[in-house]
Amino acid sequence: MTRPTRRRHVRRRTYALLGLAALACWFPLYWMFVVATTDTARATQLPPEIKPGGNFFHLAGLVFDTVPFVRSLINSLIVAGSIGVGQAVLCSLAGFAFAKLHFRGRNALFLVVVLTMTVPTQLAVIPQYMIISSLGWVDTLQALIVPGLASAFGIFWMRQYFTTTISDELLQAARIDGASTWQIFWRIAFPLVRPAAFVLGLFGFVTAWNDFLWPFIVLKSPDMYTVQIAIKALQNQYAVDLGLAMSGSFLATIPLLVLFVFVGRSMVAGIMDGAFKG
Amino acid sequence: MLTISFHPETFGDPEPYGRNTVKFRIATSVVLAATLALAAAACSSNDNASTGDNKSIEFWSFTGINQKAQVDDYKKLHPGIDIKLTEVGSSVETAQALTTALAGGKVPDLVLIQGDDLPKFVQQPQNFVDLRTLGADKVKGDYLDWVISQSIAKDGQILGVPTDVGGMAVAYRTDLFAKAGLPTDRDAVGKLWPTWDAFIEAGKKYVAATGKPFVDNAATSVFYQAVNQGPEKYYDTAGNLVYDQSPQVKTAFDLGLKAVAAGISAKQSSFATGWSAGMGPGQFAVVAAPSWMLNAIRTNAPGTKGKWDIATIPGGAGNWGGSYLAIPKNAKNPKAAWDYIAETQSPKGQLAHFVASGSLPTTPSVYKDAQLTSLKDPFFSDAPTGTIYTDSLLGLKPFYIGPDSSAIGQEFQNAITNVEQGKGDPATAWDTALKNIKAAIGK
Amino acid sequence: MTTSLSPTLGRLPALSGSVGVRQRIVERIAPYAYIAPFFVVFGVFGLVPLLFTFYIALFDWNPIGEHTFIGLDNFTRLLHDDRFWNAAGNTLSIWVLSTVPQLLLALLLAHLLNHARLRFAVFFRMSMLVPYITSVAATAIVFAQLFDRDFGLLNWLLGHVGVGPIDFTQSRWGSYVLIAAMVMWRWFGYNTLLYLASLQAIPREVFEAAAVDGASGWQQFRHITVPSLRPIIVFTIVTSTIGGLQIFTEPLLLSRSAPLTCGPVRQCQTLTLFLYEQGFGQFQFGYGAAIGVALFVLVVVLALINYLLSTRIRREQR
Repeated sequence: MTRPTRRRHVRRRTYALLGLAALACWFPLYWMFVVATTDTARATQLPPEIKPGGNFFHLAGLVFDTVPFVRSLINSLIVAGSIGVGQAVLCSLAGFAFAKLHFRGRNALFLVVVLTMTVPTQLAVIPQYMIISSLGWVDTLQALIVPGLASAFGIFWMRQYFTTTISDELLQAARIDGASTWQIFWRIAFPLVRPAAFVLGLFGFVTAWNDFLWPFIVLKSPDMYTVQIAIKALQNQYAVDLGLAMSGSFLATIPLLVLFVFVGRSMVAGIMDGAFKG
Repeated sequence: MLTISFHPETFGDPEPYGRNTVKFRIATSVVLAATLALAAAACSSNDNASTGDNKSIEFWSFTGINQKAQVDDYKKLHPGIDIKLTEVGSSVETAQALTTALAGGKVPDLVLIQGDDLPKFVQQPQNFVDLRTLGADKVKGDYLDWVISQSIAKDGQILGVPTDVGGMAVAYRTDLFAKAGLPTDRDAVGKLWPTWDAFIEAGKKYVAATGKPFVDNAATSVFYQAVNQGPEKYYDTAGNLVYDQSPQVKTAFDLGLKAVAAGISAKQSSFATGWSAGMGPGQFAVVAAPSWMLNAIRTNAPGTKGKWDIATIPGGAGNWGGSYLAIPKNAKNPKAAWDYIAETQSPKGQLAHFVASGSLPTTPSVYKDAQLTSLKDPFFSDAPTGTIYTDSLLGLKPFYIGPDSSAIGQEFQNAITNVEQGKGDPATAWDTALKNIKAAIGK
Repeated sequence: MTTSLSPTLGRLPALSGSVGVRQRIVERIAPYAYIAPFFVVFGVFGLVPLLFTFYIALFDWNPIGEHTFIGLDNFTRLLHDDRFWNAAGNTLSIWVLSTVPQLLLALLLAHLLNHARLRFAVFFRMSMLVPYITSVAATAIVFAQLFDRDFGLLNWLLGHVGVGPIDFTQSRWGSYVLIAAMVMWRWFGYNTLLYLASLQAIPREVFEAAAVDGASGWQQFRHITVPSLRPIIVFTIVTSTIGGLQIFTEPLLLSRSAPLTCGPVRQCQTLTLFLYEQGFGQFQFGYGAAIGVALFVLVVVLALINYLLSTRIRREQR
């Protein structure tokens, strides 16, 4: 196969643009780290400080002393992990049903789900608290996990994937061969969208990890805190000790970065492999 | 465009259908149950906090007040009592969590409510325990009248016990004053501005000498403090709204505009990022500072230790802030919560907290106590903070604070800030403020 | 939205006759079993609270006080409330500012990243997701500091090229830019990767053939890239519309001195923040709920419009 060689080498300006984009992505996180290693005074002076200082361990130590940080990391891990897995499972099952199975009320139900994405949830906090309270779940982790499992966006996303990735002929052929619905799902459909489910789980994990408002309302015992609540305790409402606050924020982001390093490649690759063919 | 090919062998041995479907159901249930079980297991370490035996207290507080110190001291004296303290978030966020809890279900035993958030709760007294039933009548007299009256509902129920007040003074930079040729001794500085007009004049002198702004902003440091210095604010003594007719309010508002026009403001809104950042480098030389703000200055500008001092505020008297301890109606351990309040908020308790954390007591009986009067703050050139702030309280003429006072004050401040930022017209600012207040509170 | 070749084959045929009755019944209710786990959770924790919001819009509802039925009064008041229209204007402006440049940028970057011979490809791709994993709270503090009028890095850099210090948080358009910047920063990488994924599905030969035919990069972009990405572009436009009109956390966290109004003249108060202020700040949940209903209508209408527009574009290009 002959190919024209004209387009083979990448223009320099492509690298420049991409480099600029990457810089923009990393800079705020880098700056967070810089502030986490100096202190408030130097962080707010001009010309701005862009080199890390030596204060990291001192501030990090303060973080661990002031708030139950390790415990909160574990809590966040449990909550975010459960939500990630749960969303992947629930939304894959339901997404498959909405995309490939036919049943009465399918379109209406799906429309209801999509419409709920359009309503702001800030006021729903109170009825949600009422329900959680009557279940006796106040100040527990399941109060965070169970409501977090039903992601309307997750359904939307998985249904989209199932619809565009898996053709009906494939499933019909399987059916002709005598497969049950479960076999079709588990043996054929799900493996094809596994990357998408994986990505959904990961996004669910990240969102749950970074959530503050609902956990703040529901969790009150210091040993139940998630990591976002713990680092909020480092911030005074009248005066922000920037060094301490940024140190807390940075420490709370490190687990995600670690996860990202290990999983990021396959996550990115996952989006690449399975998406939107045809 | 089929990119996936289908191989019959994928299925292997076709299994009986019945088992498959049942298997599926079991699998789903297992996954769901596992998720919940995992979560439940993780929660097993959470002991049931409020068991109703009055041996434990669930206490919600917010950052910046340092209730933790008092809680720890109390626990040392009462080892049988377990206090679960939540000290996260701002006063506004804690009030929102409290609202949700009161509306929805499980409430704490004890909650700290900031003065600005209090009126809305006092209007709905059925949500809190009437502390008179636990003995508040006996101790009511310990507190400043006008402070505790804010937590008394319309039928006389006492809903909260005041923990602290702010008082009011002016924190100023001695080094910057020296550079501008202004006096630096706090008594001399106090004499420099007995009135707000004199304050603005001093500001103009400062700006002329140094070319830098004098005060952090006009809305908070000038208007908000001046409006607190009359016997009547937004409501008259009978509780009617008079914000649009009260001469004091108009005078204070005009003072704010005058300060803007004099060009002495640094235009930094209180607690904003630039405000915090500007403290150290001396972007402004004075800030109206209640007692709790001293800690903010300490945190924001640690390098300026010893370069600050505290002088009396123009007008002499003032107050900003203050919080209250309340017990929600359905608390499981109200008696234990009240015991905590009675002990820690007694005159002795509040004095001890002042010495430890700088929180100004609301119990006038300790104002002349040697522990209070002798306290000097080295960050602020050894100023006797106890005396200065309590003096500012004693000169205060009590005015009626109603449920919408906070919203009204906010709109007036907004109008002045708008002019300060160069976006509003000073001639129409008053009318704009009135219009916005009407829209906000409907009256 | 299926892409099957023949629309008549959409239904899975029934099981063959040799299957027992019990199995038939089981298969019939199977779909409901699949959606059941989701709907149990969703019904209780997602749907009920939202229906509640719609319900109390008809009330004067104090969360800790009285609840009085007032019918549509909240809505009439809303229509005459300047603050509502102000918030609506803010919301729309911020949405346009944060969505349009962002999706265009994502398209461009996806196109660049699609190059076969690109070095450091993995690094670039992974960098795109770094903003997404940073918490909004931390981002707000960082951006507030970077955009500060007197001590921020951005104004310091602008000062070098002679542009006066801009007070982003105090001016209306400045705060729009600041919030849009935060939202864009968070999401552009995510959308880039979505586009890139779909781009990679287009066989290289199509581009090669076009190049041989003399098509420039721009023409390839317009006539090959964009049409092929139509499903995913539609998806991102719809989700950006839904999300962008509900922006809440960024304005809330940016204004430390007046958190619920976002500035002295509510210059950056979005509709969701206004809703929150009325609910939790003023204890007027009914009024807040009415704002929620208004926002719901707005989102549905705009999402629908965007969906129809974006599905039409492709056909015209053909």
